[in-house]
Amino acid sequence: MEKKNYGTHKLNHIVGKIQGAMIKNKNIVIALLITLVLALPYIISSQYVLRIIIMIGVYSILSLSLGLVTGYAGQVSLGHAAFYAIGAYTSAILSVNYGISFFITVPVAAMIAALCGLLLGLPTLRLSGPYLAITTLGFGEIVRMVLSNWDRVTNGPLGISRIPRPSILGIELTLANNGLYYLILIFVAITTVVMLAIVKSKMGRAMMALREDELAATMMGIRITYYKVVAFVVSAFFSGLAGAFYAHMIRFIDPNSFTFDTSILILSIVILGGMGTIKGMFLGSALLISFPEFARFLQAYRFVVYGVVLIMMMRYRPQGILGGQKKTEYKLPKGVDVGQSKETAPGKTGESINTVEEGV
Amino acid sequence: MILDQLVNGLALGMVYALIAVGYSLVFGILRLINFSHGSVYAFGAHMAMVFVGMEYGIVPALIFSIILTGMLGIAIDKLALAPLRAKNSKRIAALITTIGVSYIIQNLLMIVYGSETKFFPKLFDYGNINIGRVSIGTTQLFIVGVSLVLLVLLSYIIKKTKIGLAMRAVEQNHKAASLMGIDVNFIVTFTFFLGGASAAIAGTLISGYYQVVYPNMGFLAGLKAFSAAVLGGIGILHGAIVGGLIVGVSESFAAAYLGGTYRDAVAFVILIAVLLVKPTGLFGKKGNIKV
Amino acid sequence: MKKVIGILLVGILMMTVFVGCQSQTTSQESEVIKIAVAGPLTGDFAEYGTGFSNAAALMVEQWNEAGGVLGQQIELVVFDDKNTGEEAATIAERIAGDKDIKAVIGHFASGVAMVASPTYQEAGILNISPSASHPDFSGEGDFIFRNNTVIDIEAQVAVNLAIDTLDKKNVGILSVRTDWGTSTADITKDLVEKAGGTVVDHQEVVDGTIDFSSNITRLHSADADVIIVVGMYNTLGPFASQYKAVNPEIELVGFSNAYSQQLINLAQENAENIHFPTIFFHGSVEENVSSFVSAYEAKYGSSPSSLTAQAYDSAGIILKAIENAGTADRSAIKDEVSKLVYDGVTGETKFEDNGDAIKAFSLVKIENGQFIEVK
Repeated sequence: MEKKNYGTHKLNHIVGKIQGAMIKNKNIVIALLITLVLALPYIISSQYVLRIIIMIGVYSILSLSLGLVTGYAGQVSLGHAAFYAIGAYTSAILSVNYGISFFITVPVAAMIAALCGLLLGLPTLRLSGPYLAITTLGFGEIVRMVLSNWDRVTNGPLGISRIPRPSILGIELTLANNGLYYLILIFVAITTVVMLAIVKSKMGRAMMALREDELAATMMGIRITYYKVVAFVVSAFFSGLAGAFYAHMIRFIDPNSFTFDTSILILSIVILGGMGTIKGMFLGSALLISFPEFARFLQAYRFVVYGVVLIMMMRYRPQGILGGQKKTEYKLPKGVDVGQSKETAPGKTGESINTVEEGV
Repeated sequence: MILDQLVNGLALGMVYALIAVGYSLVFGILRLINFSHGSVYAFGAHMAMVFVGMEYGIVPALIFSIILTGMLGIAIDKLALAPLRAKNSKRIAALITTIGVSYIIQNLLMIVYGSETKFFPKLFDYGNINIGRVSIGTTQLFIVGVSLVLLVLLSYIIKKTKIGLAMRAVEQNHKAASLMGIDVNFIVTFTFFLGGASAAIAGTLISGYYQVVYPNMGFLAGLKAFSAAVLGGIGILHGAIVGGLIVGVSESFAAAYLGGTYRDAVAFVILIAVLLVKPTGLFGKKGNIKV
Repeated sequence: MKKVIGILLVGILMMTVFVGCQSQTTSQESEVIKIAVAGPLTGDFAEYGTGFSNAAALMVEQWNEAGGVLGQQIELVVFDDKNTGEEAATIAERIAGDKDIKAVIGHFASGVAMVASPTYQEAGILNISPSASHPDFSGEGDFIFRNNTVIDIEAQVAVNLAIDTLDKKNVGILSVRTDWGTSTADITKDLVEKAGGTVVDHQEVVDGTIDFSSNITRLHSADADVIIVVGMYNTLGPFASQYKAVNPEIELVGFSNAYSQQLINLAQENAENIHFPTIFFHGSVEENVSSFVSAYEAKYGSSPSSLTAQAYDSAGIILKAIENAGTADRSAIKDEVSKLVYDGVTGETKFEDNGDAIKAFSLVKIENGQFIEVK
């Protein structure tokens, strides 16, 4: 952790160098890595480590999906755990009460979560900045209250226990037979591919435009309401997917599994990894999910240090670990001043206009 | 019974208003949601508990706690937020920073004072006053009174004094204000002090009312006060007060007529309903937020 | 393409992290017997996890001074789960993977314990929770036990206290909305009716609520004479103070989970005459109890609560079982625990087939700021 703090340039430099070397031997590296990822459970024999890796996978999906809303479309959400919870509960209820197979409940759970994303996305179109942030936060709390009070469906505070594991052809996928690892690998792969496809497309560029400047985007004829809703829906879909997986892996869920802390954790991953990046989400998840395990020796000070790490990261690398590397600064012509907005510091002529005004 | 609940709600709402003012002040100046405010509130209550335990009397204890908590507010700004402003970082980086700060404060409180719920002496209690069939606790009257005085005082500082004028100037435009000879950094520091001090008073009032102190007390109270601030139109002082009262009263009614398990969410339901109709809160001005 | 390379690069970074991570967990056969304690040492419920680990450490210390078990020293390994299921699941894997750990005391909240217990069951490692109260918890498997009161039995005692001992018929119930609070409140309602009382009102609150004014207004206007409070001390304490401001005559009955010195500290004079069923009683004349209380107070500077005492006995049960089994084999320990009759500070403990412990309750009330036994 420390290393990343002390110099952003140094890190950039190192990362750049390694990347350079890797690009030269691209095919070999890719082949090697794919083999490594596939063979990972055989290299790592400890189920303890494997579970952490799987949780990193779950959070990678969550942060990729929040990354679309916050990192690309620039809408801060403080209630993302709600979709995670909706996915988990839907899948758990369907499979426990109705005995439906995991592979059917998962898409259903994701669809229901997406529907809720639409529900939240539509009314929040008119909101921005702190108004949007508090609305998403409120949504998260309301969902939790519903989970805790709607006894007939969610079983209230007793939660849902003995959720069956996913099984294919009668074979249960467990941690021990590596089934869960490969399953999450597939889920992560699907999410990544979809996110990459969106980000690379016209839709992704539109979202980035609305992140950078909503007004300008509207002027350019971008239907910002449409793209905001799409971002929310897609994001909710994949969070629901992650939730469904989580429910069947952990096998017991209750309303306390999905708190405001979870939402904050996902948001921290997105920002720490680097808003508007895909690979940053993996790195962010790996760091923040494994942090509590690495920090066990700190005992009671674990979460004090966690706070310090967040602060230091934001101080020395506010764009996130992998954020903002690729952006080449756009130099304005001489004599043009863009610094008149009251929030930005005095903008000098020719200064970068990469500073984003996201209102939170 | 309706009137009883109304009285309960108003007392609670006054305290939310006091906390909400802290969010609003900082937001007005920095356009920043200060997530550490809830833990600053808990810190203030703990300090009051410690000083009251030292038996210098309630008033000095309260003053010590206000000063210390105000200083904590300043320290948060100087150590964590000012460097971000100097680098002109994204606002979301500041948001995460305040979350980090709240982790630190809350966990340190737990390490030092333990996570258990602790006793806080009653500050002011002369039984209940009965007006017709409504019974009003003197503690409740005291809370409402103190909060009102403080809120009036705060409004006075902001509306009538020179430093208040400077605060309003900074709120409008940092650069122009500094060109006018206003020490922007000092104003920000002062704002954080005010925010911390009002949180300390709110913390002490609430702890004295319910006679309990615990490290996590600022979490839900903070979220509700934040929604109160937004409900009234964040950055607007009287908006925070009205928002606080609405949240307090609706919470009290929800607890009585819907059940205690719904009380925490009702503030958010009302908030969302209001924002759908009026996206910048009750008193929020359009264009207060730059897109 | 650069993006793909980037992702792969991150992959490599992560792998190195894990290979490092793994080397931490491998351990060689050692000469000590390890017992794990898992509970919240950070977060809102840290007091309970700390109580667990303190109590278990005290028990282990006493055994070690007497020469350990099977001639080996005992080592306590403590894990902090922050009372979250996610961390508990990970910890459970770590414990299951460490062959030196012979048994687990813990996980505080039922929800957290139930996330971890399937792992313990599959790994075949004994798990005793001193606090989990979820009806399904002990049914998780034959390795899963709880050394906690069984809620229907305890609720019966509480109802008897309210209706027979205090002789009140109009019963109000206040319960926290947790798995324990909700299940207990449901059972209590039926038992009150059976015992000839009437439930005049039932109010539910979220765990951690400190403002009960609305609930009290409701209970008071329903003419309740006695309130059965299903909550921990942090609910019962403020509730008692606030209720007695409205109606000083009200009688209160609590549950053993609220049996804690903290309750008297919080409610002060308003704690007077609150009645409890409890399996652990500070002032007991039993010698083992008084020596436990004084040893605990001397070492940690606070007095043990009911749940702490249950953790202390849980540690004792495990060590006794190891001694009886004559081997530290995980499965043999489990068999021995299910046969064991253990005489501890929470009374005589014997586990039923489903892993629940049936115990005798003593009745206590608070008088002059002290817990005293009700005859």
